[in-house]
Amino acid sequence: MPLTLEIVTPEARVYSDTIDTVVIPTVEGEVGILPGHIPLLTQVAHGELRVTKGNQTQWLAVSGGFAEVEGDRVSILAEHAITEEKIDENAVEAAMMRAEQELRVAKNIDPQQYEHLQSLVRYSGVQLAVKRRRR
Amino acid sequence: MASTREIRRRIKSVKNTRQITKAMELVAASKMKKAQQLALAGRPYSQLMARMLAALADRVEESQHPFLVERPVKTRGILLVTTDKGLAGPLNANLFKLVMDIKTPAKYYVIGRKGSQFIARTKRDMVADFQVTDRAAFSEVKVAAEFMVKQYLEGVIDTIEVIYPRFTNTLVQEPTLRPVLPLGSLKDFVSQTSATAGGDARVAADTREILFEPSAAQVLEALLPFYVNRHLYQLVLSAKASEHSARMVAMKTAKDNATKLLGDLTLEYNKARQAAITQEILEIAAAQFAA
Repeated sequence: MPLTLEIVTPEARVYSDTIDTVVIPTVEGEVGILPGHIPLLTQVAHGELRVTKGNQTQWLAVSGGFAEVEGDRVSILAEHAITEEKIDENAVEAAMMRAEQELRVAKNIDPQQYEHLQSLVRYSGVQLAVKRRRR
Repeated sequence: MASTREIRRRIKSVKNTRQITKAMELVAASKMKKAQQLALAGRPYSQLMARMLAALADRVEESQHPFLVERPVKTRGILLVTTDKGLAGPLNANLFKLVMDIKTPAKYYVIGRKGSQFIARTKRDMVADFQVTDRAAFSEVKVAAEFMVKQYLEGVIDTIEVIYPRFTNTLVQEPTLRPVLPLGSLKDFVSQTSATAGGDARVAADTREILFEPSAAQVLEALLPFYVNRHLYQLVLSAKASEHSARMVAMKTAKDNATKLLGDLTLEYNKARQAAITQEILEIAAAQFAA
């Protein structure tokens, strides 16, 4: 029996399909979900999400969020998520550079801003890693 | 009766007004569509969030998480969500009425320039104001949300409440005061969320024990702030949709009024013109008669 995977961000539903297996990056390491998995609720870390359907594997970049496995439904709430095809390498690189630059320059910005920039850098890094995997 | 020249001048100015209001109506209409779409796009997320909380609620005994514990309220924290620009009908004024009703000590956090002007004018305690563009990205709202949560945890404020125009439909926006924190006991809260999120938020039929990673308490610890951010974001989206709807309706009314006025003025102008012509003919006739 196939799994149903749903990835939702505040701005849109990024992914919704039936799949064979998915590997989710969590704060405790990667978790592979196959049909018949026991119910699970876990925290998603910044990282690469791997979806396998038939003999095709698709990569997604996700940033922090939550994943829930219940029956044959896998739901992922993430702050950001993007499929590999949609990643614009140049734009991401530029964004990453900007964020890193700001991190270097600003020593005493408020911690929230700092955290935001850091998460931006991490998410950009993940996106690049996903995009470049092919080559 | 006013001279034809004066009437012509009025007609011209009313025409200009109509043109401007018409343009603004169109702009507001397109922004409204986008804002409404955004508000709708957030819905699956809210539903999923509610379902996860529901799954948690059954398995975590009443915890001591600061978001859940009610403490004596000394200072309320109120987030006022208004527009940056005016010309949105009674939208902001209605919100301000709600603010005026608050007599207990409170600190104010504001989104939108109109709101910060109002709070400053009425000499209320404004802690911070935030800018949110029409695009209303999550990151913009998150800054405000996290700031408030921090103050809440530090004990500067004892509640987080939001005053915003709740979007019902294009014609109706209700000024609403919505408490966000503390959440009250988890279970009541979840059933309430499920109801407002609309749709299927019950814990699913799968009764096998849920595995939490790293642990139920830790997941809760992370999920709750996340939920608060998300909730505030949804409220801001709703406010944006209200803003553009209100503006569109206000501008449509203004345009219709201008059109009506234009009709009246044109009628008056034609009458005046006709009167002048009649007068002239009479004079010529009288002159001939006398000759």
